Amino acid sequence: MWRKAILLSLREKKVFIVFTLIYTTLIFLTSFFINLGFQGDLGDLAIPLILIFFGTSLFLSLLYAWILVSRKRRVWATFKCIGYTNKNILVLVSGMIFFTTLVGFFIVIEVLFHYAAAIAYLNQTDLDLTLTILVDLGPVIFTSVIFIVVQLFAFYLAYRKVLKVRPIIALKKVGE
Amino acid sequence: MSADKDIMIEAIDVNKEYRRAGAIIRALADVNLRIKSGEFVVVQGPTGCGKSTLLNVLSGLDLPDSGRIIFDGENIARATEDRLSKLRRQKIGFVFQDFNLVNTLTAIENVEAVLWPTVLRQKEIENRAISALRDVDLLDRKDHYPAQMSGGEKQRCGIARAIIHRPRVILADEATGNLDPESEKQTMALIKKINQDTDTTIIFVTHRDLSRYGTKTIRMDKGRITKIQ
Repeated sequence: MWRKAILLSLREKKVFIVFTLIYTTLIFLTSFFINLGFQGDLGDLAIPLILIFFGTSLFLSLLYAWILVSRKRRVWATFKCIGYTNKNILVLVSGMIFFTTLVGFFIVIEVLFHYAAAIAYLNQTDLDLTLTILVDLGPVIFTSVIFIVVQLFAFYLAYRKVLKVRPIIALKKVGE
Repeated sequence: MSADKDIMIEAIDVNKEYRRAGAIIRALADVNLRIKSGEFVVVQGPTGCGKSTLLNVLSGLDLPDSGRIIFDGENIARATEDRLSKLRRQKIGFVFQDFNLVNTLTAIENVEAVLWPTVLRQKEIENRAISALRDVDLLDRKDHYPAQMSGGEKQRCGIARAIIHRPRVILADEATGNLDPESEKQTMALIKKINQDTDTTIIFVTHRDLSRYGTKTIRMDKGRITKIQ
């Protein structure tokens, strides 16, 4: 079922791309500010900023869960008609949300990895550059773990909404 | 519980009311019905006569206010939601008026989706989907998305989805309602063939006169069964 959740995610191209990009940006910014916070460069601003980013990630996850369940109510109702339990549908929805965050995480890792490689290369040249690594791996992993924990709230919201989807909706005419 | 092993579905003193805009609508009134295994039952009647409500309670999608629904020997009128899901997954196939295919999945994926929650391996699921699509003569369109198919093809895909798990009963709610006359004829012939070849019980709800395809016709009006022939 997890593999099918990935399939469904990838086929929802627009929503998937938009949310992946937002998650990527958010993971990067949160990691960046955590990194600065660890280095003591942000002073008193560190904790409020990080909390704002985590709050945004919570809002985003809830929004994504809401969109996935509400926009596809007829699909989930049809799935209930053909024998899916609430748990089956929740696995699909949760998988779609989780996969999107995971892709955002890997994009951030990939970008930072290439950035670090470029810095390593440029620092070996005679060019007088003062480039430093933007974010360490630690804050990125820390951020991603928190983001995934925050998604438990989204899974809960999705579950509550999935419970409310009545299979009879599938039998009604479109627009009825 | 019915002692007759040939009885697939039995409704006993079933009542169902709805409240709409303050008024109480009696959707099913003292409905008693026996459907034998392998029958092709056409449920006919005007809009609002209760035929879709009957389909809903017979399949466990909706619960009656009173009475019993015996489905393959089991009273489902008070069954849990999980039990009803399992029952539908194992014994019931649905064909919808609006096809209800997932637009982002191909024809074969739509058919396979029924078996995703089961323990079957992907290869077995794929083989069954191919077999179901072949049965409805849609194998050449297996990689097409619903938007790339005609109404008749979408409905054949919907029928393939309804038969992939080899159900005991297929329930169709106005399944030809969105089709042109030619596609309707083909769809009805296909459902009739499934009924004859596999002995699957068919309950076909419609407001049109399609009784010629059935082995039994139930006429409804104002929530009551007025005639069974």
